[in-house]
Amino acid sequence: MKIEILFPAFANLHGEKAAVQYLTQCLPEAEFISTELTDEPAFATEKVDMIFIGSMTESQQELCIEKLLPYKKKIEELILEGTVFLSVGNSLEVFCSSIEDGDRSIPALGIFDYTAKRDFNRRYNSLILGEMEGMKIVGFKSQFSHLYGDNKNEYLYKVVRGDGICPGSKYEGIRRNNFMGTYTLGPLLILNPDFTKYIFSLLGCENAELKFEESIRRAYMIRLKEFEDPDRKMD
Amino acid sequence: MKRSLRFHAAHLVAKSAMCVQKLLRMNASYFPGKLALKLCPDFGQQIGKPEKIIAVTGTNGKTTSCNLALSILEDNGYTVLSNRLGSNVNAGIATALISGSTITGSIKKKYDLALFEVDERSSKLIYSYAKPDFLLCTNLFRDSIKRNAHTEYIFNFIDSAVPEKTHMILNADDIISGRLAENNSRSYFSILPMETDHKKCENIINDMSICPKCHANLEFSNVRYHHIGTAKCPACGFAMPKADYIAEADTWDMKLMVAEADGKHTYKLVNDSIFNIYNQLGVVALLREFGLTQDQISRSLMKAQIVGTRHTSDEVNGVKIVTNLAKSLNPVACSCVFDYVGREPGTKEVILILNGAAGTRESSENITWIFDTDFQFLNTPDVKRIIIGGIRAEDEKLRLLIAGYPEENIICTEGELDTPKYLQLDCDSVFILHDLNFSGYGAEIKETVINMLKNKEAK
Repeated sequence: MKIEILFPAFANLHGEKAAVQYLTQCLPEAEFISTELTDEPAFATEKVDMIFIGSMTESQQELCIEKLLPYKKKIEELILEGTVFLSVGNSLEVFCSSIEDGDRSIPALGIFDYTAKRDFNRRYNSLILGEMEGMKIVGFKSQFSHLYGDNKNEYLYKVVRGDGICPGSKYEGIRRNNFMGTYTLGPLLILNPDFTKYIFSLLGCENAELKFEESIRRAYMIRLKEFEDPDRKMD
Repeated sequence: MKRSLRFHAAHLVAKSAMCVQKLLRMNASYFPGKLALKLCPDFGQQIGKPEKIIAVTGTNGKTTSCNLALSILEDNGYTVLSNRLGSNVNAGIATALISGSTITGSIKKKYDLALFEVDERSSKLIYSYAKPDFLLCTNLFRDSIKRNAHTEYIFNFIDSAVPEKTHMILNADDIISGRLAENNSRSYFSILPMETDHKKCENIINDMSICPKCHANLEFSNVRYHHIGTAKCPACGFAMPKADYIAEADTWDMKLMVAEADGKHTYKLVNDSIFNIYNQLGVVALLREFGLTQDQISRSLMKAQIVGTRHTSDEVNGVKIVTNLAKSLNPVACSCVFDYVGREPGTKEVILILNGAAGTRESSENITWIFDTDFQFLNTPDVKRIIIGGIRAEDEKLRLLIAGYPEENIICTEGELDTPKYLQLDCDSVFILHDLNFSGYGAEIKETVINMLKNKEAK
């Protein structure tokens, strides 16, 4: 199995490196390929089973768009074929139509018909609790932008507490086939043992062992209890 | 300067509020300034200031650097207005200026200069009226993501706020902060390669791994920690300039040799942790640029100490008890402390009380920072046991497991003050690493450990 990590040198702002380290510990047989800005993506020339990309700075989003633009068709094909993508934090915006920053509109890859609106004067911080195919998802958001567009037919998970892709939205992220994009930050896999198992099943490794499962579940249950407590603030 | 009626009214109200707070034994370091700025939006512009202003900013080390600079300046007879005991945001600076003002709003004549610690995000507001003659930026790193987002955001914040006449004192080993205010005059400081340097980054995060000019991967010839080190771009040749103050640290004899244009001078090294060596060097460079002689600085450094709430060291019956600040939400600060602990000689037991209580009881802490923190530095055979106290103990345990630390040596307890009872006191040192919010707990735990050791000896 091949798992490609896109731009790990910089797309790692919020715990993504430890998340990848955790994946390597759970999937010791898998080959992990690190693709930097100066490299040709592995997915362009060989079969990869999963592509992971994490949060980055806003100027790095533009570098990332420029780098991936020549591979837009290939990425669309891979999504259609069912390749697993996990895009966390603001990397999700790279795959959308554009990013608006004041008067400036930055064209993105245009694979999904959504527009991100950025406001450097407003840092949005939130906890999020969601539901996805019977799993409860817990996570964190910390971002300058929100995504606008109708995702009620292609969301990653339904929001129970917090906001989805934009304030007031009850649907978080984008899900198309096995493309999963979400503003939920980097350590999503470490925080959500059931979601991680679900990813493993998409990769055809249903029996892969969750490393430190007892500990990870204990931490998850404590967090879930906090997030479900109506007296706890979500910001 | 002609001051408006509105200013005088705001000043009077703020001065009165400060008196009342002091009478009530409250810490009058924020509210009077907030009130004044609310009542008179250009209060900062109108209030009197000392002739010279020094500011210290940066992600890590600004309080330590400020305290050290202040003690040296005062030791040399300067009367310094500072926000040492107060807030480093706009209202805190305004409060400090109010406290140093006469009833008419002029600066009291006794003050030779002001030395302000400035929060990075408050740069725009503060530098609009308190224009520093010298600005020391210690470093820029990933910090609290909720507030500071990432280094590029904070860099842009400071970069756009620095007044054009400010002389910058910058770390040449930091490719991020070292590029601040590129059109300003500047002096750089740097530390020569050390035995403890690495050939490549050993940390989880390196926020400057690609060239800031052409985006090719940077090549580091030596890495001290995170992105601190010496790097060059193989594609476009980008590199940091040669420093004006080049130091060699002798942590054995506790000496800091600093070479500058007119020769080399040896100072006492106040603390041997790498981040405090940088803090001290930055202060030396700052005060040399300010005009102090090497001898003046050297004499004062003989008496200087790092403030006790950040680092203390005691010894009871041959066991060293160290308390050290490990700022939660700040992965780099914690990683540096873990690295320091991991490298200390001898066997250790470590108590971790990292999570800030604030916010965790009402809400739930965003813990992404712990996954950017180098817990692997605690994974050495010398670290015999780690006892984690607090509401996020299970998360930190999980992080230690991912870092490869053996599960059987980890003990979790929700009560921070319960941690000492799990110590076995069979090691050379006990390290108590605490968040800023837990400085009181850190001191309390230290006392408990000291008593436990004394009782053990008595038995």
